[in-house]
Amino acid sequence: MSLQRFILKRTLSIIPIMFGVSVITFGMFHLTPGDPVTQLVALNPDVTAAEEAALRERWGLSGPVWEQYLDWISNVLVGDFGQELQTGREVSDIVWTRLPETVALGLFGWAFALIIAIPAGVYAAVNKDQLGDTVSRFLALSGISIPNFWLGLMLILIFSLYLGLFPVLAPSRSSLISPEMLRYLILPGITIGTASAASIMRVMRTSMTEELNKEYVTAARAKGLPERTVILKHVLRNSLISVVTLAATLTASIVAGSVVVEVVFNWPGLGREFIDAINQREINVVMAITLFTGFFVILANLVADIVYAALDPRIRYD
Amino acid sequence: MPSRHNASDSKQNINRRNVIATIGAAGAASLAGCGGQSDGGDGGDGGDGGDGELFPLDVQLEVNADNSDRLQMVELIAESMEQTGYFNTTVETYEWNTYVGRVLDPEYQNNGYVPCIGLSGTFNPGSFCNALHHSDNVGQCCNLNGINDSELDDLMDSARYGVDVAADAELRGERYDEVWNYLADNRYSSITHFNLATSVSNTDLHGFEMWPFQEGMYSYNMFAPQDEQIMWVDRENTAGDSDLSDLSEGGTLSLAVGANIESFDPPHSTDTTSTLAQGFIFEGLTVNDAQGNVYPWLAESYELRDTNDIDRTAYADYMSTVGTTEEGATDTDEQVVVPHPDDNPAEDDEVRVLLPDDATEAIEDGTYGMQYRYNLQEGVEFHNGDELTAEDVVATFEYVENSDISAQTFDSLLAAVQVDEYTVDLYAQVADAEAERELPSPLILNATQIEEVEKGNIDPREGNTPIGTGPYEFSEFEDAQYYEVTKFDNYWTEQKGVSEAFSWFDGSSDFPDGPVLDGFEVEIVPDDSTRSGALQNGEIDSTYGINTSTLDDFDSSEEFLVYSVETGGYEYIQYPVNVAPFDDARLRQAINHLIPRERIVENVFSGYGRPAWTPIPQLAQGSGTADAEALEEELRPMNEYSVERAEELLEQVAADN
Repeated sequence: MSLQRFILKRTLSIIPIMFGVSVITFGMFHLTPGDPVTQLVALNPDVTAAEEAALRERWGLSGPVWEQYLDWISNVLVGDFGQELQTGREVSDIVWTRLPETVALGLFGWAFALIIAIPAGVYAAVNKDQLGDTVSRFLALSGISIPNFWLGLMLILIFSLYLGLFPVLAPSRSSLISPEMLRYLILPGITIGTASAASIMRVMRTSMTEELNKEYVTAARAKGLPERTVILKHVLRNSLISVVTLAATLTASIVAGSVVVEVVFNWPGLGREFIDAINQREINVVMAITLFTGFFVILANLVADIVYAALDPRIRYD
Repeated sequence: MPSRHNASDSKQNINRRNVIATIGAAGAASLAGCGGQSDGGDGGDGGDGGDGELFPLDVQLEVNADNSDRLQMVELIAESMEQTGYFNTTVETYEWNTYVGRVLDPEYQNNGYVPCIGLSGTFNPGSFCNALHHSDNVGQCCNLNGINDSELDDLMDSARYGVDVAADAELRGERYDEVWNYLADNRYSSITHFNLATSVSNTDLHGFEMWPFQEGMYSYNMFAPQDEQIMWVDRENTAGDSDLSDLSEGGTLSLAVGANIESFDPPHSTDTTSTLAQGFIFEGLTVNDAQGNVYPWLAESYELRDTNDIDRTAYADYMSTVGTTEEGATDTDEQVVVPHPDDNPAEDDEVRVLLPDDATEAIEDGTYGMQYRYNLQEGVEFHNGDELTAEDVVATFEYVENSDISAQTFDSLLAAVQVDEYTVDLYAQVADAEAERELPSPLILNATQIEEVEKGNIDPREGNTPIGTGPYEFSEFEDAQYYEVTKFDNYWTEQKGVSEAFSWFDGSSDFPDGPVLDGFEVEIVPDDSTRSGALQNGEIDSTYGINTSTLDDFDSSEEFLVYSVETGGYEYIQYPVNVAPFDDARLRQAINHLIPRERIVENVFSGYGRPAWTPIPQLAQGSGTADAEALEEELRPMNEYSVERAEELLEQVAADN
């Protein structure tokens, strides 16, 4: 199968996947009890049952679930994601204003992960089973095991509250592209990047170890090449393939992986909006963010596959 | 220490109970249900009950799981009931939305469960009895267990409605005293405690006093001549004992609030943070002091001109007939001002309702409950340069129709009618003792803006800058991040001078003519611990809603001041009065005596609360009782923790069965 056909096929498969995602999310949302009306007026002694019913009808929450779903999907198909019920604001506006914040944080975390993980992986592989390797493997294991929210809180506690190096609040007045943003990005960026860094480092180490055992390495060494050249020019390049694939897959986390971190760091991105929307039972917002995230994850995987093929021409798709 | 007053009566029991309850308060849910039998056995008394058919009685208490304090409180109550040997208790927890759906189901009352919930009341004493007990509120908030007692309904109605109570505050207090006594005798519910609202500031903020409603705490403190209250920032000196003579002008106060601003459009939001934000920008016709007394504000003065002795059926002749929907809603796009008391949209195909035009017609014929006349201040300038006139007031009230606050507004309001350029009449539906406070409650908007914007869109996110008459004008807003308000140069009280603007002002001549702060920067930070971190780190000056354990740290620090005040927030359990054996008032009274109110406040809420010896907190005592002290003296013994009294009552119940 040619690359073009592969891309076409994968692109088309987005449609049923997104449909499935939307049905499941919509269904699950309705399995959990309560709606924005419950949130808004259910415990207000001044509001009568008739007024509650009227509000439900106005917001289109009174019919059966499938009817609400059909309403919703027929609007989405023409590009209308609806409004946030309680405020009447356009959902697409909400997503677009929050997206840059999330992407900025995600990119920073992703870059942090790569910058830490690749050298660490190389170092660990080259010094296999020595102290340095053990230490970095231990750190990687910790990085994967430590929950995001805990790490975030600890970083705040140590670096903001005890040492006073970083602000606790998220940037509200600085523009996203400015030097002072760095101060704001570092702690949440580290938090977001740590788990990715750990997994990238482990993959880097494994594939590097594998490559190091190959005959061409022995050949290169026998040829009298300096060890530095052997490692950096030959082995590293060959072992990067799996890392690049993983890193591409991990770009999905730029959008999808930040819910917890955004809440802990009060970061005004999509993740926090998502949590707020769930708490407020704002179905339109929840659906839009879920679809967007789902779309981005599929896209990241597609990109990973393509990058994989581009790096290694031996790989064929079928 | 809590519960010491009982110690002399039965020392050994109390000591053991104290120990167990304290462990329970620390979160040992597993204790519930393990101590009951043995205690009943060696206590002797409980054994009698155990032999009968009724006892030990299975009781299921229900509570929302997300509120860990409330859950602990219910577990304490359950444990205390178990200890007598008369009850086998279970505590069921639900996710909040499930819980609300469950308890508001009209069928819930037949289950025989004991729900626990919290509400918040206002200066209106009715907010501490009506929601829970009035038969109108069965199946909605919050008469969860179908209490239907026409004698009580009449008592509560007669304390608020009627020509006599509307004219005589003393009589009104007496009527409410009857309500509280009736409730104590019949014990349909048990209010456990009143919440304290707290806020924490650094010592740069001077002159701050807590206000019983969180949503008004900063706007109250910025300038409240009614209580001679004003705050200022002084970064050189430390706050503590500063008084008016130390006041310094200028500076910006930076705050953090716990939720995004749903809307800057006053009638289209009811959440705390939105109301808090609107308080800088908008003003009402009147203001309240900390006791709930009403003072004219944008109205220079007001008077009650006329009262008619009518009830809501008097509007029947003016009502329109409209259809109803399948869901039991009234099928009209217009504001329902008065629904006919005899019609029910859930059952009837057509119902009679008074719409705004009908209301005007009724008023023209002289059919109304009360007529209040408001004479507006002249020379009040909106932030867009318009002068405040009666037109703005009338437009505001129209704008309130079918908004988020229409239910509470049209609970008392019939209509707003312009008399001349600076005079507006507000009409109440019936003679209503709350009308003076309730009628003028909406914040006054600008008529030009109302005309220009789509309803509900007075919000920067919709491209509209909110325009009010308040001392601060809107300056910046970044959704979910922060907003800023800055001082409005032409604020009217500063133009007039405070004693000129308010004929009722009799305070110190040092009191400034308007707020002294240059502006407010308000960060939106949902996470409690991030807010307290930001405060510790010096990024903000003041915040609120910090959890009680962190409050203690702030309290012991010299760099911060913790403020607290009793609010209208209360929590309670409600008895399933329609299900035997809970139809026996003695059983309910017995359980009430087993509620360790002091221990709840001390152990669960770390002292940030006040035991509910009477059903009304301080803020509602102004109109809710003739004599607060006498009332407490009378009711407190009926609400105190007393195992002896409870067991006595339970034995009586057992004997009759």
